[in-house]
Amino acid sequence: MNTLEVKNIRKTFKLSKKQRKIEKTDSKLKVAVNDLSFTAFPGEIYGLLGPNGAGKTTCLRAISTLIRVDEGDIIVGGSSVVNDSFEVRSKIGFLTSELKLEDHFSPNYLYTYFSRLHNVDEETIEERKKVLFKRFGIEEFKEVKIGDLSTGMKQKISIAISLVHDPDFIIFDEPTNGLDVLTARSVTDYLVELKDSGKTVILSTHILSVVEKLCDRVGIIINGKMKISDTLENVKKTNSKNDLEEIFFDLVKEESLIGGGF
Amino acid sequence: MKNIITIFKKEFYRVMSDRRLIFTSILLPGLAIYVMYSFIGGALGNEIDDIEQHKMIVYTENMPTEVANYIYSQGYNPEYHIYVPANQEELEAEILAGDVDLLIRFSPTFEDDIDNLVVSGILLHYNPGEKYSEYTYYRIAETLNQYAEEIGIERYGDAYYSFSMSSEIIMDEDKAAGQGFAMLLPMLIIMFLFSGAMSIGPDSIAGEKERGTIATLLVTPTKRSEIAIGKILSLTVISMFSATSSFIGIMFSLPKLMASGSGSDLDVFIYSAGDIAILFSVLIATVLVIVGLISVLSAYAKTIKEATMLIMPFYFLSIVLGMSTMFSGEASSNMWVYIVPIYSSVNLIISILTFEISTTAYLLTVFSSLVYVTLFIYLLNKLFQSEKVMFSK
Repeated sequence: MNTLEVKNIRKTFKLSKKQRKIEKTDSKLKVAVNDLSFTAFPGEIYGLLGPNGAGKTTCLRAISTLIRVDEGDIIVGGSSVVNDSFEVRSKIGFLTSELKLEDHFSPNYLYTYFSRLHNVDEETIEERKKVLFKRFGIEEFKEVKIGDLSTGMKQKISIAISLVHDPDFIIFDEPTNGLDVLTARSVTDYLVELKDSGKTVILSTHILSVVEKLCDRVGIIINGKMKISDTLENVKKTNSKNDLEEIFFDLVKEESLIGGGF
Repeated sequence: MKNIITIFKKEFYRVMSDRRLIFTSILLPGLAIYVMYSFIGGALGNEIDDIEQHKMIVYTENMPTEVANYIYSQGYNPEYHIYVPANQEELEAEILAGDVDLLIRFSPTFEDDIDNLVVSGILLHYNPGEKYSEYTYYRIAETLNQYAEEIGIERYGDAYYSFSMSSEIIMDEDKAAGQGFAMLLPMLIIMFLFSGAMSIGPDSIAGEKERGTIATLLVTPTKRSEIAIGKILSLTVISMFSATSSFIGIMFSLPKLMASGSGSDLDVFIYSAGDIAILFSVLIATVLVIVGLISVLSAYAKTIKEATMLIMPFYFLSIVLGMSTMFSGEASSNMWVYIVPIYSSVNLIISILTFEISTTAYLLTVFSSLVYVTLFIYLLNKLFQSEKVMFSK
């Protein structure tokens, strides 16, 4: 089954002397995510919510195998990030603002380049390229150097390139960041399309309205810990006002009382 | 004025608060010059010591004992052999090969001629293409001149030259030209190979890290080792283009440069296609090692600037290695030398240029270079896997 299971992952980073000073701590280790678990199902969009520095990016990097977890495991469609990272990478489409495209090349060139690295055959490359370029309005810019394109267009090309191999798992980190309303809408519409076609979609964001509109399931990470993970409906039920924003603030407050330091 | 000071302070603080920049822009140049010039001084000194300690091998014909004694009194003690005219050809071959340094032929009536005020002649045969022969010739000719002057003053009260000297050069023109190339080319070649690789390596790896494009590559199902090998091969080919262009430039300009200086002619076409092919294979092996090193340093560095800084000391070191043979123009006969990266290439290039290449040295150089590049690929692969190296800011 095409589920994505995050199982009790823990990830720590070593702190340098300087970082310890900034963080005002004596501890040499910073716990970025601690005993974090959740499951995302096919045909659903899982929204990962959390304030800045909560550990969302670390969690997504771990899923994409860019970093290794200290403890726990993540199972992506039956493949473990610990043991079969190579397999995992061929199953996921990963998008984050950290993954940039080289300015010197054209969308057309880079699309083919990444398709080949994903072992897509030449015929499929051309077919899919046509579909995706049309879908995102890249067609007329396909020979323009990435460096000469607008931020929105770059983002759309990044999205197209993250999907060259038609992955079953789609992990998008803040996909609408820096986009105008129109472009953002076209991206969110596409995410719904992907979900409807049976893909497992994980979306990380701090925009609550996006979560409310798109997500079937929500997980709220605060201070490296998963505070709540359930269907949007059930999450909302935990608060009398039935309001996601209120729940979010309550959780942040609760964590800071425990000593999270927000 | 206030703004000038504000901007000055900020720029000054930018450099002074960056330990790495202080090292590269202030400390490294002085250190590099000190190391390089000390090394040149040392190499030059060694070379002079080596020549001075060499036992001169001199063949003589009709050499008066008085002249031999005079030479001895001036501090020279050559190993003398008697010249047999029947072995003329054999002796010439030995001078050509550098086994014999000098042949001095006096007239049979040399001493009588001096007494009778007849200007007698001395003929010296030597090989200016061999450093020992050239040195022996200059020292002995100088001593003989001095001798002529002294007996002139002693006998006639005047600096009257009682005999004349003429010399005959026995030299393999190709080998001499080869030696000319061998003195300059290795250093230039290593410099060009290095600077070619240096201009693209940091951008290809550290640049991709800096711009965040390497992460896009790392999330594809591509083995880290494939990325490492692909990058190294591509950098190697481009560096070879760059080096070939520089090499052609040197080969065509060097004869002009040398001709204007010494009057001797250097002809590039003394080398056969085979020599050039062997040279080319050595260059590829060398470039692989250089590119491997530059790639590893670039992967370790956070930015292009830092990569360039890390590479710089190695660049200087390679120039020093290239320079180390500049004064002798001779390849080392110690086989251990041929497993030292870069230094092996320098020596092998010399042996190719002077037509003295040894198969063992060639195989050792090429094989050890392949071992080093494999090691660099392994390291690069490890660095690509290290999240600390790839994602530290």
